[in-house]
Amino acid sequence: MSLSPSLSISLFLSLAVGQQYSSLGTQPILCGSIPGLVPKQLRFCRNYVEIMPSVAEGVKIGIQECQHQFRGRRWNCTTINNSLAIFGPVLDKGERRDGFEVSKATRESAFVHAIASAGVAFAVTRSCAEGSATICGCDARHKGPPGEGWKWGGCSEDVEFGSMVSREFADARENRPDARSAMNRQNNEAGRTSLNDNMFLKCKCHGLSGSCEVKTCWWSQPDFRVIGDYMKDKYDSASEMVVEKHQEFRGWVETLRPKYNYFKPPTDTDLVYYETSPNFCDPNPETGSFGTRDRSCNLTSHGIDGCDLLCCGRGHNTRTEQRKEKCNCIFHWCCYVSCQECTRVYDVHTCK
Amino acid sequence: MAGAIIENMSSKKLVIFGVILLLFQALSFMVGGLIAPSPTSVMLYMANKCVDTAKSHQSTKWFMPWGPNKCEIIRSFDEAMAKKIEANNIVFAVHIPQQNMEMSPWFQFMLVILQLDIAFKMHNQIEEGALATVDVALAYRDDTLSEWTEMAHSVEQRELKCKFNTQKNYENEGRYYDCDLLPFMELGSVSHKYYLLNIRLPVHERKKINVGIGEVKDIQLVGIHQNGGFTKVWFAMKTFLTPSILIVLVWYWRRITLMTRPPVLLEKVIFALGISMTFINIPVEWFSVGFDWTWMLLFGDIRQGIFYSMLLSFWIIFCGEHLMDQTERNRFSIYWKQVGPIVFGSFCLFIFDMCERGVQLTNPFYSIWASDVGTELAMAFIVVAGICACLYFLFLCFMVFQVFRNISGKRSSLPAMSKARRLHYEGLIFRFKFLMLVTLFCAAMTVIFFIISQVMEGHWQWGSQKLELNSAFFTGIYGMWNLYVFAIMFLYAPSHKRYGDNQSGGQCIISDTGASGEEIQLTTTITHVDGPTELYKMTGKAAQE
Repeated sequence: MSLSPSLSISLFLSLAVGQQYSSLGTQPILCGSIPGLVPKQLRFCRNYVEIMPSVAEGVKIGIQECQHQFRGRRWNCTTINNSLAIFGPVLDKGERRDGFEVSKATRESAFVHAIASAGVAFAVTRSCAEGSATICGCDARHKGPPGEGWKWGGCSEDVEFGSMVSREFADARENRPDARSAMNRQNNEAGRTSLNDNMFLKCKCHGLSGSCEVKTCWWSQPDFRVIGDYMKDKYDSASEMVVEKHQEFRGWVETLRPKYNYFKPPTDTDLVYYETSPNFCDPNPETGSFGTRDRSCNLTSHGIDGCDLLCCGRGHNTRTEQRKEKCNCIFHWCCYVSCQECTRVYDVHTCK
Repeated sequence: MAGAIIENMSSKKLVIFGVILLLFQALSFMVGGLIAPSPTSVMLYMANKCVDTAKSHQSTKWFMPWGPNKCEIIRSFDEAMAKKIEANNIVFAVHIPQQNMEMSPWFQFMLVILQLDIAFKMHNQIEEGALATVDVALAYRDDTLSEWTEMAHSVEQRELKCKFNTQKNYENEGRYYDCDLLPFMELGSVSHKYYLLNIRLPVHERKKINVGIGEVKDIQLVGIHQNGGFTKVWFAMKTFLTPSILIVLVWYWRRITLMTRPPVLLEKVIFALGISMTFINIPVEWFSVGFDWTWMLLFGDIRQGIFYSMLLSFWIIFCGEHLMDQTERNRFSIYWKQVGPIVFGSFCLFIFDMCERGVQLTNPFYSIWASDVGTELAMAFIVVAGICACLYFLFLCFMVFQVFRNISGKRSSLPAMSKARRLHYEGLIFRFKFLMLVTLFCAAMTVIFFIISQVMEGHWQWGSQKLELNSAFFTGIYGMWNLYVFAIMFLYAPSHKRYGDNQSGGQCIISDTGASGEEIQLTTTITHVDGPTELYKMTGKAAQE
């Protein structure tokens, strides 16, 4: 798959997940050592090596959000054996086995592309605010002598820069004329547009005696959970498309057309897909399904996280577990909790 | 000597004068809209979390978020948890500005707003009325290699006003609270190139310091400063306006001193208005580029305050002097009822400003809104000032109403009057209506552009040409009130021309015994009487006949 796989399956997850407790910013990244980068991405990586850790961080944020949003569902963004193939082939796109593409162009794949691309834009914008990168936003598009531009008229928004990085990098491999590329492009863009649409304006008055005679406003990034919620809605209302082939002078070009004419055509923020999802009940490497065996389920729920639905009617096992838990805690704002230890007994239900 | 210039000016000249003013007005909008960038700039900073590894807290140690001497940074607090780093060992470091940039004195001021990202946790919620205690230190340096010099250090308290917009359950753990922005720091001058903020949130369980403030995930700072380009355009405008207003002021005062009678109240008030405008205009801010004058922000507020109160007083007195009833005015003390609220209101605002920006001269982190007492006090000042403003506008509206009532009364009796007196009253009415119109126009323009600049997005795009609305608003409105004062001083200066072609007009006034009270009126307004000599001449003529 475009971004997440090429990144996640190689260096980036090893960076993002593997070395959890090392600061990402400190390690120099050797672009050449990242497998699977297309030339355009490699060039980009070399030019923007400073922000590559943020790109990895962004993919990680996206994955975490995906796992949160789908935590109780049959498909829950899990990894097999914690391996690097974090999403399984569901999300994967670019891996071709003997020219045969294994990935499926499903809703799930669409969601992962969108959330990862939004995550990259989000993380890059954030790291620009941290100031460790020198190439962020503040370009010299303003008047005045070069380099002095920001003294004359300030900086442009870092948000645009974040989106630009995400677009340049994630869409770099989606330049083939096939349907899958078109779908990934649309979904990547949907993620970024959703992020931009969810930015909110904050203002501060600082005129005479603090009056609103002078008011300054700026765009603020929302909590990434808000983006996750929004994308989840988009996932639920994703548009199914059909592939159309046209003959052009370059050869065959595939484009996407809405399958149902009586629905509104997808907009910039909508997710699109053209293959139906498997039911994810049974493991199937072809479709990228891991199955729901041994997943814990909620006995009392009648929703998708309930044992009936999650276990696909196979039934569930129940065992009791004693867990030591922290209780009566005193919290600090960070890092320190003084607690007593209590033991509680839980019933744990897992799918057969 | 009779009347002001405006009464004796031909309509043609008046129109030409008006058109010239309008051209300058358009120019002042253009200057802001086309040349200047937007008035202020925003920089967003995400604080880096440094670990204070030294066991003994050395106050001289500064934590840099990046660069060669950067501190030991942790990405998230889960990492800190695993490494058993405590809250007291975490320092939030922010370097202003970002890498590869430097601040400049042209930025004039810098304010910094604090935003805490606090995640919701069922067992660690923000308590009602929780106070965040922030230990903050500010340092500066002027080149990238030298040591940091401490500028200010303070322990501040800020009340957290946070809402959680969804249901408080386990499902929603990890979502952020929606917290109000906290005023954090205000610098009245930006004379150094680099600034460094080190922020701590010390925890002390027994003293209940920073307990119950929820799970802080991040600290974000928002830095606002004036754009250098805007400052330059603004200074240029002031530098241009100062001599123009000053010249008219001198000319105006010379005209008045040339007269044989002492100046009347209205003339003095117009003169004072000119002086307060010049006071605002004088570009002392040029010095702020070379000197570290932190009080410039406060001084600017004071200058603006003086001008506004002068303008409001002028309107009241102008109305009063055109009342055309038979009362003798021409004394400032008559207007105490109307001017009182202005003086009292602006005094309240002055005290408030001193409490906020005055204290900030010594402690840039001070905010009157941070404490409950301070908030109440500040609100009290603002409410009193608001009441004063309402009171003033009631008086003003009532006075304007009175003038119009008197005008319509006089209108009906105008044809019956003698020529000189008719001319006199017509002059009065014209002068009043003209000023009324111009004032309303200016006020309406101010309000309209204020609303536009508040509602519209920062700029309009015209093909390749960008129009900065906010800057256009500032320069345009500033230019407009300058032109207003300019026009008043010019048009309401005493004229050298006379009313009638011959002196016979005077006779009629005196011989018109039917209106004995109105002679007093004629002597009190600025238009007619030029000292005893003129009166003597007139009475002499009357005696001859």
